[in-house]
This record gives sequence, C-alpha cells and structure tokens, in this order.
Amino acid sequence: MFISRFRVNTARSGARRLLSSPQPLHAAVMSSFPGILPSDRPAPAAPRVLWRLDQRSRAEVLLHIVSPDRPDLTHLVEQAGWPAAADPANPGWQTRPYTPLLDRLGAGDRWEFRLTANPVHNIRRKEGEPRKTTAHLTPTHQMGWLLDEKRQQRLGFRVCEKPAERRLLPEGTTHHRRPHPGDRYELTVRDTRSLSFTKSRDPGSSQGRQVTVVTATFEGRLEVTEPDALRRALTQGVGRARAYGCGLLTLAPVAHPAPRTP
Amino acid sequence: MSVLVLRLAGPLQSWGASSRFTRRTTESAPTKSGVVGLLAAAAGIERGDDERLAPLAALRFGVRIDQPGTRIRDFQTAHHGVTGTSMPLSERFYLADAVFVAAVEGDHALLSELHAALHAPAYPPFLGRRSCPPAEPLVLQLHEHADGIEDVLRTTPWQAADWYRRRHRPPDHLTVLREASGGESIETADLLRDQPVSFDAGRRLHAPRTVVTDPVPVPIPAGGDPRYAHDPFTALDSLEEESA
Repeated sequence: MFISRFRVNTARSGARRLLSSPQPLHAAVMSSFPGILPSDRPAPAAPRVLWRLDQRSRAEVLLHIVSPDRPDLTHLVEQAGWPAAADPANPGWQTRPYTPLLDRLGAGDRWEFRLTANPVHNIRRKEGEPRKTTAHLTPTHQMGWLLDEKRQQRLGFRVCEKPAERRLLPEGTTHHRRPHPGDRYELTVRDTRSLSFTKSRDPGSSQGRQVTVVTATFEGRLEVTEPDALRRALTQGVGRARAYGCGLLTLAPVAHPAPRTP
Repeated sequence: MSVLVLRLAGPLQSWGASSRFTRRTTESAPTKSGVVGLLAAAAGIERGDDERLAPLAALRFGVRIDQPGTRIRDFQTAHHGVTGTSMPLSERFYLADAVFVAAVEGDHALLSELHAALHAPAYPPFLGRRSCPPAEPLVLQLHEHADGIEDVLRTTPWQAADWYRRRHRPPDHLTVLREASGGESIETADLLRDQPVSFDAGRRLHAPRTVVTDPVPVPIPAGGDPRYAHDPFTALDSLEEESA
C-alpha cells in the first residue's frame, strides 16, 4: 500500500475543472494507475484506491491518495500542478509506502484521525413507502452515524471520550438527559458539503444522471480495538461514495494537547 | 492562595458600575459586582442573602482586556406586557464581540466550591445583563498554588477569537485592571463604586474599591489552531525516526 500527497495549484484552469466536481477528479486519480482499467470493477473485499481533498484555505488544497499500487501523477502535475518546478528527484507529489504504518497498528493505540465520509441511513418517510438512502444533514446525526456501536466495531476502533473536566455538560448529557455526542466524545464535524454533479452518460441513457452526495469531515481521536479491522477500514474505505472522495481515513500521532471546543 | 480564572466572551456584554435612571452605561471591562454576582448566582446565593455574599465579595478581583470589543447603543422602547402602557424610553449600552479574562483570588476551599458550582450552576450565568449569555465555557482554570492574580493574568494565554487574530496584529500590551494588593500604595489607583455589599432588590448597595491599571505583554500561545494541522505523513515520519 502507498500513501501519496499532491498539492493542487488552484491558479490553473485545469485545477478549477478538477475541483468543480468529484467526477473528473475521480477519473484523474484513477488514471494514475496503469494497472487499473476503467472497465474494472473493484473487488468488494480488496484494498482499493481512496482519495480525499483537504482544503485548508483557497490556495492550500491537498489531495491525499491511498492505493495498493504506486501512482504516477504526472498528468495531474501537468494539468493542475507546477510542471516547470518538477524534476526527477521531486516530481511534484510525494508517495510513501503505507504498509509499515499498517503493520504497526496495535490494539489500544491512540491516534488523531481525519475522515471525510458520506453518512447516510435508509428510511421511509411513511408507512408502505420503499426505503430510500438519505443523507444525515446535521452534525449531531452525522456524529451519531460514526459513533454507531456496530459501525465502530466493524471499523476496528472506538472514538475516545473526553475527560470529565473538558466537558461542558455534566454527565455528557443535555439538561433533558439526552446524550450529546459533541460534548462527550473527542470528535468534531469540520465541514458539511453537498456535492451535486452530473454523472457522465451511462451507456444506455442519453441524459446524464444527477448525483447528490453529502459529505462530512470528521476529526477526532480514536483508540484501536481490532487492528485487523482498522487495517481493512484504512485500505478499503469507510461508508459510501468512495469513488467521490469519501471514505479515506487517515491517522496522525497524538502530539498536541486536545483541541479546544469550538 | 488560589486563583480562579474565567473567560468572559459573548456576542454582547454589559457591565454597568455607575448607571442611574434610563441611561444604562457599560464600563469597558467587567466589573467586580458583575462577576461576583455571576459566581453568587452559580452557587445559588439568593439576592437578599448578604451573609453568604460577604466571602465572595471579599475575593480580590482582576480582569484583563483581551479583545476590547465595540461599544454599541441600544435605544429601547418597551411597552408593559400586561397594561400596554409605554415604559420610559431608555438607552442601554453594550460591548459587542469582547473577550475578557477575569480572575478572583482567595481561599482554595471557597474557590473550588465556586469552580464546581460554575459547572452545574443554580442560576444561569450571564455577562452583566440577563440578556447577555456567555458564548464560551466560563471556567478557564483553577490555579491552586498561584502567586496572585497579577501573575495569573500575566501568564494566561491571549484569548482573543480566531477571526480577531487574523484581522489584527497582536497588540503591544494588554490592559489589566485589578484591585490593589494589601501592601501596595494606592495613591495612583482609581476608585470605582463597584464593591458589592448587597444585591437585595430593595436596597442594592456598592462600596468603592481600588482599580490599578497595569499593562502586561501579550502572552501568545504557540502556533495557530492545531485542529487544522492533521497531516497523515507525520505518522510515517515518526515511524522512520523510531526505526532509524
């Protein structure tokens, strides 16, 4: 497995086109792997290509990619990078082997994490209606999605709880005694984005299909419970819309003191 | 000697010390009566209970202006809720977008009691006026063995909001307004009628207290907001350092 980081040059028109919709960006990311053909379907339980855009400010946009093979991002550098500044030693992106980190994961380890995901549930609005996949729109529901007991077990980690002295509410509940996840856990929802774009034409239909994906970026602290399951989550992704920049979970060492409550 | 440090931040604050009648002004920094009242409310001390108020009023008080805010005027027209007759026209002054660090110094047992009370307040805290709720957690820290409010207000990191830091360069100094300590000469200190004696609704009473103004250098915490710093490559770096 490899992890790569590419800084997008937002001053180029190619970057604007790629950032305007996850569809062309997905195509560009997939084109970095000569071994993967567009007609290939990813095997359900195998490592796959995952990517995520980290947008810290207008001119600081980083594309992170985790992939089974070493990517070649030359075309991205040409379209949306700094081609004149590239040289063989520094091609315009960085790729590092990811396996050493994956091998070192152990139960009980604590990490800072960041995850952009597409939190959804299946509901029917009234009796007798078919169930439909519906996005969670509020931070409380989005946190509830990630904090779901079964989901955390499946992903092989547990989101850490805040120590009592940093909580704003006693017992971690509101005054109606309802749990409040934002106060109880080391977890924040940074960003909620609704991406709406036209999917390129399916072979059968003449019109493009409108796709809407609601993404939420989670940041927080986790404790590893099952290293194997977490390894799976790190290489196969979390949740839906993994082709559209969702599902890539990354870890960083716990170095600084816990973030202040916003 | 212990010191309890509070962060007073909110969209609006209003700290009156000398207002009478329909013109309700605000000082440019929190008043002792306002902060002691907030602590007394959290501890559940009733308005007329002067005996329980006395130990709180005896705490030594200081405040630091971290983000001065904007003074705004509210021209208030109101009608009586039941009879509909118009109430007197009044002017109310507020500080908008201000952030202060307030500290009280005193006996540890009393301060730890107040510290606990602020986490489960009997009456909700407000910043000088009932309509001004705090926007952030009030309690910053309880220092058990502190050298006094001067020292704490000199070392507590600058609390200005992120947007304020982005727009303004750090000032040269922050202003600390504090009560004079026991052995200090008070010839240069100001007097403010702000020492709470009774909060009884019928006969509210304040005594004068000293105000010493000190500039302190800005204690800026290291680095920006660490929350945006997530970089997955640091995990690989630290791994390589270990194996090297």
